[in-house]
Amino acid sequence: MATQGKPEQLRLGFLTAIEVPDKGFSGGLLVTNHYGRPLEFQCTTPVKPNSTQEILYGSSLQPFLLGELIGGTLIDKSSVKPQLILTDRIEILELRNHIDVPVVMVDGPEDRAAETSMKLGRQTIRFHSAHTTDSAAVTTDAQQIPADADLREPFLRVREALQETLKNGGLR
Amino acid sequence: MSQPVVEVFASGMNSALQRAPRLRAVTVPLSPLSINVERWRPTWPKPKTIGLRFPEAPEPPRPTLPPKPEPASGGDVGVGGAAVGAEDATKAAADGQSAEPPTVPLSPPVATLADLLPPREGGTLTRIKPPAEAISIEDRLFYLLQPPLETWLKGQELVMPFEPFPYQYEGIAWLFSQKAGLLADEMGLGKTMQTITAIRLLLRAGQVRRVLLVCPKPLIPNWQREFQAWADELPVVTVEGEGARRQMLWMMPGVTILLANYELLVRDMEAFGDQIPQFDLAILDEAQRIKNRDSRTSSTARAIPRKRSWALTGTPIENRPEELAALYEFMEVVPPRATPDLRQLQALSKQFILRRTKDLVMKDMPPRLDRDEHLELAPAQRLAYDAAEKEGVIQLDGMGESITIQHVFELVLRLKQITNYDPLTGESAKLERLEADMEEIAASGGKAILFSQWVSSIEWLEEKLARFKPLMYHGKVPTPKREPILKRFKEDPNANLLMMSYATGAVGLNLQFAGYVFLFDRWWNPAIEDQAINRAHRIGQKSQVIVTRFISKDTIEERINRVLDEKRALFAKVLGDSEATNLSLSMNASEIFGLFDLKARHGKGTRKISPKGPESSAA
Repeated sequence: MATQGKPEQLRLGFLTAIEVPDKGFSGGLLVTNHYGRPLEFQCTTPVKPNSTQEILYGSSLQPFLLGELIGGTLIDKSSVKPQLILTDRIEILELRNHIDVPVVMVDGPEDRAAETSMKLGRQTIRFHSAHTTDSAAVTTDAQQIPADADLREPFLRVREALQETLKNGGLR
Repeated sequence: MSQPVVEVFASGMNSALQRAPRLRAVTVPLSPLSINVERWRPTWPKPKTIGLRFPEAPEPPRPTLPPKPEPASGGDVGVGGAAVGAEDATKAAADGQSAEPPTVPLSPPVATLADLLPPREGGTLTRIKPPAEAISIEDRLFYLLQPPLETWLKGQELVMPFEPFPYQYEGIAWLFSQKAGLLADEMGLGKTMQTITAIRLLLRAGQVRRVLLVCPKPLIPNWQREFQAWADELPVVTVEGEGARRQMLWMMPGVTILLANYELLVRDMEAFGDQIPQFDLAILDEAQRIKNRDSRTSSTARAIPRKRSWALTGTPIENRPEELAALYEFMEVVPPRATPDLRQLQALSKQFILRRTKDLVMKDMPPRLDRDEHLELAPAQRLAYDAAEKEGVIQLDGMGESITIQHVFELVLRLKQITNYDPLTGESAKLERLEADMEEIAASGGKAILFSQWVSSIEWLEEKLARFKPLMYHGKVPTPKREPILKRFKEDPNANLLMMSYATGAVGLNLQFAGYVFLFDRWWNPAIEDQAINRAHRIGQKSQVIVTRFISKDTIEERINRVLDEKRALFAKVLGDSEATNLSLSMNASEIFGLFDLKARHGKGTRKISPKGPESSAA
């Protein structure tokens, strides 16, 4: 993707969620350039399912909650749209079924939902099993990411920012 | 068929009700089966969100400088700047005119830093922390979400010529988050590099666009060189030249970093009136220059319109702890004219000062070996000295109440000069010792720096030490010639000795390739002496630095030495956590009076100022 000979900067979205005691899950999305410098941050108030929802959703509750509901909301809200979304929670891969942007799991365990994998930076990323063709698109973008990039580090920032926001009452 | 006769049933019904029931069947058509099913669909309200957009960080623009006028006389030169200066120097050289100080780095500021670096522990990352004064969640998140400095600076977006030390990363992170900060690292720990890197990051993060850096005039080439070495992508414009041109430079749009000296700052700001240019960040190097808050320099610095205020100095307290108040006033962390007490100063220090000493952070740095050479005066020197002292004291005593500190001071200077050499015979115990040391140093290819209070002493030594081809660096050497002298001292293997005056050479120069420092005579303030010594004993120094102080026995020098040792101990105390006192670090009037066995009027009677005779054990 080149504009007037200058390649467009890759925008990465680091999407994760934390569980807040008695309040449910709060999600955060940090959009950075390919060097990890922040461009935009979005986070949600905690979302807590009730018992009916827990019973009815069963094992699909967390993929729905973290991927579709929280992840989808954060992507909707962000004004800087990421071209590749990375997560460190397998449940968030579900988001891929609802958006047209590759969502990959960083260094996750082998899982049926993520069968295809490739090396990116210092980590291995895994793709959603229903979207294995994403790997071709990501391979092109991957060239912009330095080989020694630590793709786990930005998740620490997101978690820290979520904790800070909760601590300061920003997410009440 | 007979009916059984029942009178009254147990239920209370009587026989009158025994008639047969009459039944009639009616056909009713069946309606179709209809079941109501409740539809339940979970509804999830959209979670609320908080967002933060980071400012765009444009590439730093390259300003188009106004054309340079014909070279002005009197060393008033045109536009400097990292990239521009080199062109100017080349052009001037081609024209056969005196060239400006070369902008080719004399040496990379920490050229040997990589060699000294201890291996970094994996996973040790320096994060930027929100400052205490950042209250809003957006402000705090801005800092929290910045990448670790090691990631940011490892040569992708921002190229670093050498990897900083861990303590330097911490300093950069601290400066980045400070709207008001005093970086007071001990000399030689890289305040310049930390400052330049923090500026780069702030520019890249879109936090500042226009930066003013003010420093003493002799340090302008040093800053230009350091900017070129550490941030060659940043355009640096130096305020120089005649008045109209300087006005244009101050106001020129698109200038990212403006470099000015204190004198021009004062002169030009006054000329601006109400139209003072605005800056996102104003930095004062050698900020002790504004320690007197009533001075024009101090009030001008405070008047610079700015959003962030940083001060740099290795000696935040040069004389009295109250000097910090002047720096805090510039940093706008105390109200105008505030006089914080010691406890308040200490509290402010915790929040707004970052100071590290070599002992704390440079455990692997080669040691500095101090040796005090107590020398007997040569016979002719002794005679001259004793006569001068006797005569001087008699004169002072004879002055009675009209005696002033200036009179005593003049005697001290006269005696100190005799301890350097006897002006009549040229005898000098210090010279003899220096020559012996220099023979050894030159033979081994070593390099030495010598400091003296007097240019006249340096010039006298130049003649006596001609065989060592000494280089001179003092106030009489024109500014354009100074950089080439330093360059030659570094690169010429036959240049073994550089002789400097404290006033010109003590501040800001990087001479870490010199392994020997001679203090030919003593300065009044130990902080200045330390600054001088730290020209050599700084980051990048590979070998030990041997510091030799010449002290003439049974003279005023021994008495001064003892006072200075006490001062040095006090300096450490004030900047530490212990109870500080209100004493002056440089020699005060009482102490200078006390150098002699004088009688002075005090109150109603005559007070004997206790004599400060030399002690044989003074060391």
